Amino acid sequence: MDLLMTEEEVRFRDEVRAFLDAHLGADLKRAERLNPSFLADPAVGLKWQAKLNDKGWVAPSWPKQYGGTGWTLAERYIFDQECERAGEPHFRGASIKMIAPVIMRYGNDAQKGFYLPRILSGEDVWAQGYSEPGSGSDLASLKTKAALDGDHYVINGSKIWSTLAHHATRMFALVRTADTGKKQEGITFILIDLKSPGATIRPIRSICGTHEFNQVFFDDVKVPVSDRIGEEGEGWDIAKYLLEFERGGAFAGGVLRAILTRLHRLASEPLADGRKMIDDPLFMVRFAEIATDVDANDMLELAAMSKVQAGGNPGSVPSSTMKIERSRIRQSIAELAASILGPDALRWEEYRPLHDLPEESEIDEERKVASAVYFNSRSQSIFGGSNEIQLEIIAKTLLR
Amino acid sequence: MMDLNYSDEQLLLKESAERFLKDRYDFERRNKIIASKTGYDVGIWSEMADLGWLALPFAEENGGLGGGAVEISLIMEAVGRALMVEPYLACVILAGGLVEKLGSADQKAKILGGLIAGTSRPALAHAERQTGFDFGNIAATATKSRDGYTISGEKPLVPGGPFADIFLVSARLDGAIKLFAVHADASDLIRTEVKLVDGSRASDLVLDNVAVPASALLGAEADTLAEIEATYDRANAALASEAVGIMDALMDATVAYTKERVQFGKPLAAFQALQHRMAEMAVKCQEARGSALLATLSVDAPRPMRIRGVSGARAKIGKVSRSVAQEAIQLHGAMGFSEEMPVGAWFRRLYAIENTFGTTADHLKRYSEVVRDPAVLSGSLLREPV
Repeated sequence: MDLLMTEEEVRFRDEVRAFLDAHLGADLKRAERLNPSFLADPAVGLKWQAKLNDKGWVAPSWPKQYGGTGWTLAERYIFDQECERAGEPHFRGASIKMIAPVIMRYGNDAQKGFYLPRILSGEDVWAQGYSEPGSGSDLASLKTKAALDGDHYVINGSKIWSTLAHHATRMFALVRTADTGKKQEGITFILIDLKSPGATIRPIRSICGTHEFNQVFFDDVKVPVSDRIGEEGEGWDIAKYLLEFERGGAFAGGVLRAILTRLHRLASEPLADGRKMIDDPLFMVRFAEIATDVDANDMLELAAMSKVQAGGNPGSVPSSTMKIERSRIRQSIAELAASILGPDALRWEEYRPLHDLPEESEIDEERKVASAVYFNSRSQSIFGGSNEIQLEIIAKTLLR
Repeated sequence: MMDLNYSDEQLLLKESAERFLKDRYDFERRNKIIASKTGYDVGIWSEMADLGWLALPFAEENGGLGGGAVEISLIMEAVGRALMVEPYLACVILAGGLVEKLGSADQKAKILGGLIAGTSRPALAHAERQTGFDFGNIAATATKSRDGYTISGEKPLVPGGPFADIFLVSARLDGAIKLFAVHADASDLIRTEVKLVDGSRASDLVLDNVAVPASALLGAEADTLAEIEATYDRANAALASEAVGIMDALMDATVAYTKERVQFGKPLAAFQALQHRMAEMAVKCQEARGSALLATLSVDAPRPMRIRGVSGARAKIGKVSRSVAQEAIQLHGAMGFSEEMPVGAWFRRLYAIENTFGTTADHLKRYSEVVRDPAVLSGSLLREPV
């Protein structure tokens, strides 16, 4: 048992570092620093995705046969750490991390052949169609209807909290094809072209001032049966498979360490009165406690990875622990960063995206975005199965 | 290649340690031991020698089994759950570890040989009242005499003291901190037994011009202080694992109790308000496990990374273990408040751990000093091969 990289892994890390130095431009890094949201502004994200696509590195978690890298878990961990350390825009969202694994597992050859390359190239951008106004944590109560009519389904209903749906070309959605039996049994997984007649989008601005979420309405929207994934009624199993990727499939060790390092930098800069927060013992207590949390979570990720590498499963308690802890750590870093703004916390820049505004010093820009980052961080414990749902999962395992 | 899975041999050791303590060291037996005149059980100690625990971390050339920090962590988890009071950590990790690092061939043969055989129990007498977490703050003195050294000073709360036949006493010789092997029955050495908050015992030592031969000095040329610090880091990693063992035991006991205890017509475990509190305890147990593992795998890392791993774990585990222990008592209701259940004993042992070899606050401060360096803070947990 050890934490050592192999010589090849060190070489791999250095290769990734060199690539990032050469290709991740200052404009992209600045845009990411000024992005208060979980995912990058699509224009920024797609630009970075295109550069990675030239190198074949868009989808580290995909198998090689679908255009992924075919990397080992350790290589993916190292790649993620290096990308986060360098400050890459976060573009791997619903397309690469959610719908792609579903198509690989449940899609037919035609669906794989058509959709997967369009994801890698950025031609398609996907939005998630899970939650509805009346169905959040109780997802299986969803009501959006799909009625079979010849060779297509007719969709009526509405999906909500669809991240970046206003930039997306397509949506994967859970829809109800039957009302009989258990509520989970009548759910079907389908792919909707958002340019279809009858699909309309209402923007929802979030509390951080950015338009990232949407409500999408379907009014007699036609979807060919060939865009159904799996069988009718198989949607709930597919949904659960997908949620595994949303919850535990990615590493957060890199991003947590990167944002903590950004906070260190911000706290090392003298304030208007000459003091540095990093010399303030009260600040350092909080900062150091969070840093120990980051280390502990990082170890849990590495331990989970070791289990998977050895052909096992991390288990539901560690997975839900990581989901909970990642959210809490991001939230406490964002909260601590915002707490050092002083009266400047009252100033509010409404314009979005912030990176389109004239450039200021890096520290001034960190201060400019800090409140919005804090507001946005509250979403961390809600999306992907809220922390209360995670506690339910843990309690069920403990008490069964 | 990074790998955090236990090997088959390690899993066997874990299982054997758990089974041995479950069979031979249940809560009732433990209570008899702490109520006994001596406060320890010589029989258990020799069984530990037979099992190889006393030889575990030492190199084969020194008569040991060549085990590493991972093996020690497995023993310590089991020790935590069983609430063992015999001074395994004090004798094997602290005193034995320093003899292995600093001792001459002769000293190793004598002290380690006896320790491994189960016949000798060395104890480290280093920290003083004012030392706190500043290992170099030592006032005891050693002066050269005609045929050896004369040592004076006070060493309070020596772990393993009542059980020891040899003390490794630190003292300043011409300003530099050195270690001396002092027989427990030396004249002018006063040993007073002290009962500790967790049921175990320690000794207050007063040395008043204790004469020792020249052969008592360990590691004349070594950087003794650096070795002492590194050894305390090993001990702190071991304590982190002991705490994890206790946290798991508290978790198991709380789940078992709330499933059994019926109020308002259903088991306590059926109330969602209590389920989520237990789930939060489980989250903390998981995090503590991650921290302790990092500490265990950091004991041989370069000093800043060693401190990041070890003191980070002691700081983090201090905080979350306290919370888990408090919750365990609360969820046991009045039963948790009684000395009849092990819950309170685990609670008190965790409290003792929080105040052993540096407090939770001391460790947080030491950790915060190393992570002020952005290179340490942002540094990967993965290390380059040596």
